[in-house]
Amino acid sequence: MAILDVQGLTKRFGGLTAVNNVSFSVEKGAILSVIGPNGAGKSTLFKLISSFVVPTSGRVNYNELTITGLPPHEVARRGVVRTFQETTIFKEMTALQNVIVAHQLRCRASSFGIYFSSAAARADEERFRESAIEILDYLGLSTVKQMLARNLPHGHLRALGIAVAMAAEPKVLLLDEPFSGMNVEETEAAVRLVRGIRDRGVTIVLVEHDMSAVMRISDKIVVLSFGTKIAEGTPVEVQQNEAVIGAYLGQADEEIGH
Amino acid sequence: MEQMLVNGVVLAVNYALIALGITLIFSIMNILNFAHGQMFMIGGFVVYYLYGLFKVNYFLSLIAVVLVLGGIGWCFETFFFRRMRKMATREENSMLLAVGTALLLENLALSIFGEKQRGVPPVVSGVFRFGTAYLPAGRLLVMVLAIVLIVGLLLFVQYTKLGRAMRALAQDREVTHLMGVNVDRVAAFGFALGAALAGVAGGLLVTVFGVNSGVGNVYSIKAFIMIMIGGAGVVPGAILGAIVLGFAEAIGYELLPGSITYLLIFTGLIIFLLLRPQGLLGKPWG
Amino acid sequence: MGLDINRLTPRAGNGGTGAATENDRLNRGQKLRFAAFVLILLVAVPILLGRSPYFITVLTNAAILSFISLGVWVTFSIGRMNLAQGAFALVGGYAGAILSTRYGVPFWFCLPLAGLISAVLGALIGWPVLRLKGVYFAMTTLSLTEAIRLLALNGGDLTKGATGIVNIPRPGAIDIFGLTIVHDFNGADPLPFYFLACALLLLGLVGVWRLSTSRLGWVFRSLRQNEDLATSIGINVAKYRVIAFAVCCFMGGIGGAFFAAFHQNIYPATYTISDSVNFMLYCFLGGLSYIFGPVVGAFLLVVAFELLQAVQDYQALIYGILMIACMLWLPNGILSLGLRHDGKGKDGRR
Repeated sequence: MAILDVQGLTKRFGGLTAVNNVSFSVEKGAILSVIGPNGAGKSTLFKLISSFVVPTSGRVNYNELTITGLPPHEVARRGVVRTFQETTIFKEMTALQNVIVAHQLRCRASSFGIYFSSAAARADEERFRESAIEILDYLGLSTVKQMLARNLPHGHLRALGIAVAMAAEPKVLLLDEPFSGMNVEETEAAVRLVRGIRDRGVTIVLVEHDMSAVMRISDKIVVLSFGTKIAEGTPVEVQQNEAVIGAYLGQADEEIGH
Repeated sequence: MEQMLVNGVVLAVNYALIALGITLIFSIMNILNFAHGQMFMIGGFVVYYLYGLFKVNYFLSLIAVVLVLGGIGWCFETFFFRRMRKMATREENSMLLAVGTALLLENLALSIFGEKQRGVPPVVSGVFRFGTAYLPAGRLLVMVLAIVLIVGLLLFVQYTKLGRAMRALAQDREVTHLMGVNVDRVAAFGFALGAALAGVAGGLLVTVFGVNSGVGNVYSIKAFIMIMIGGAGVVPGAILGAIVLGFAEAIGYELLPGSITYLLIFTGLIIFLLLRPQGLLGKPWG
Repeated sequence: MGLDINRLTPRAGNGGTGAATENDRLNRGQKLRFAAFVLILLVAVPILLGRSPYFITVLTNAAILSFISLGVWVTFSIGRMNLAQGAFALVGGYAGAILSTRYGVPFWFCLPLAGLISAVLGALIGWPVLRLKGVYFAMTTLSLTEAIRLLALNGGDLTKGATGIVNIPRPGAIDIFGLTIVHDFNGADPLPFYFLACALLLLGLVGVWRLSTSRLGWVFRSLRQNEDLATSIGINVAKYRVIAFAVCCFMGGIGGAFFAAFHQNIYPATYTISDSVNFMLYCFLGGLSYIFGPVVGAFLLVVAFELLQAVQDYQALIYGILMIACMLWLPNGILSLGLRHDGKGKDGRR
């Protein structure tokens, strides 16, 4: 059963077509990766799916509901949450505060109650705090939870971004280059992490350059080149696809299957 | 009808000088010169004192304006904004520093020049007629001078080494620095040039409208409106904004009573920003 | 012998960066300082200076100006430089003036109503305008101050144009069940206005503090630090921006209505761009990270302004120099000087 259905998404900026009639679907509980050489339109695709950018044409269905055209915070409320590059975090808050803030969607108290610290509001705060600690633990960040986000080392920033996204209780998590800048061990840990998140019932769509990680982790891969989908299939199918090999021919060797 | 057009052109051309000045500063150093209107005002006063009181040749007075305001602009950049940049504090601090410079100039002017409205005798006499429209020779002169300056500025920015350095700085500060350009010096020059443009516009328009130490904020707002309409930080945007504002004023003052004109301009501006926050020619953000 | 990373990194205390501690309740030192402030304001000043209407008036002005600036502080907390507070003080002033002179509404109703009217207007204008950021927002709000002045000038019979509204009645007595809780404010004695001003300021401080430490305050912080990230976790950024702005305008409106009754007049020129700029300056001088910032800034500058009577002609000039000096040498405001090296700041952190 497809939880996310991308239909004919196209985005033109002036004369440039960043995304050209891309369609694919994501099964519930799957991990789907979107790959492609630089400039292929991957990040634009992400922004289109999460409604941060309005498509020129096409649409995205989430559980039969068309989320295209909804404001981005609404899309997030429904369960499609995206992450950003690592520098996108609330810098002046601690890691713990970052994740607590991200629980905003789960507020049960009314605005009035929040202001006057009603019992419901206090219960919310308790719940958020416990949940945040649990999420940070899960992502291996418990030792740094009191650290200001802007002081966190790079690797932890990436994990914090995921922690923040998870606090919003996503059904579909859009991960933006989760493995970038990681060495072999870090990538391995991150792969386990992503699988773990999937096992908790979250469908994952990720955009990534790191081929080996992508091949290991994905149930399905979509390959973009110059904004167009040139291949779609299992990792094995994609690796043998001539069009894909051709698209990557100009790339340095290290990038493919190291 | 023709009178409105004629007035519109005179205003548009002079306003373009103002808009170009603030655009220059904004594009090169990413600072909104809140003191731009005050610089305009000081230009007017320099001409008032030199040409109006001491009977110095008008064109020499304008040159004095360039030197005075250029000096002020240079000082602001060198002593204030450069320091601010090196401190790397929040963005708001630079903005507030700019507001502070406006406050400084405004009150300096008030202390030195007093509150009274001042005027100067016309530079040339005579009146031209275009159909039903009257154009005093003084205004025509001012218009021509403004056009000459605008063209000169555009040529300068396009073809001279310094001009190219300024454009490079506007595009990418890091890269320009790496290319061996003395970024600090170019920035200081850019600010001086922007300030001088504001001052000259003041020196030109003082012959038409006179000047008093309170007009600073009024002209700063005009500058803001122009770059908000046309698009901040882009030269064609500045000119377009000047044309729109110049004609809006000319038409408004002709057809509507007193201060309603600007009320409409403001309302129109807010509605316009609703639809196109980056201005007509500005780059979309985000 | 391991390194405990929690020991090494500075606690996310009140290091002037806007991060509050885990426990958003005031610690004992802060409670004491606040209590001291209240005592000085409500007890010491009336006793010591009660005989001098001049000083009482100065402090009354300072108190309400801080109250209005506190509103601007709230817009800072969502990451906007608001240069329109003069406009909303003007709106509030006129609202209060019109309600009391035209419709005979008692001052005690005019005050909150003026705040509400300003807030509603603020919400309406803010909705489109808050999409702008940085300098664009600053330019637009600066223009707004001027625009509202023009509106007042051209308000026809309602605002009476350039002549403004005069003879605004002072607050009347509050009688409940025949008992006079509050007496008529008469002209000679400035103390009632002073106490009212202090009451407003203290209420404002508590109100904004509560806002800042509640979940809403954290939402505002998230807006300030990264609007995109806030959106991605489901926060309706546009809605919360408007809420913050409306709170700001509410406070501006109340301040304006207060002054209208205090001075008993209001003109289009009562609040100019300079005033909008001043409100911001007070916040900055005190320190943007501190709720007490606007209070410190306003009191310091208003009192200093008066003390500089001797150099009356250069008052405004000194203001300008002060602003620049503040930007260059005290970018985090005066209260940041109170930081001890363990990172804990003074009361009322953001």
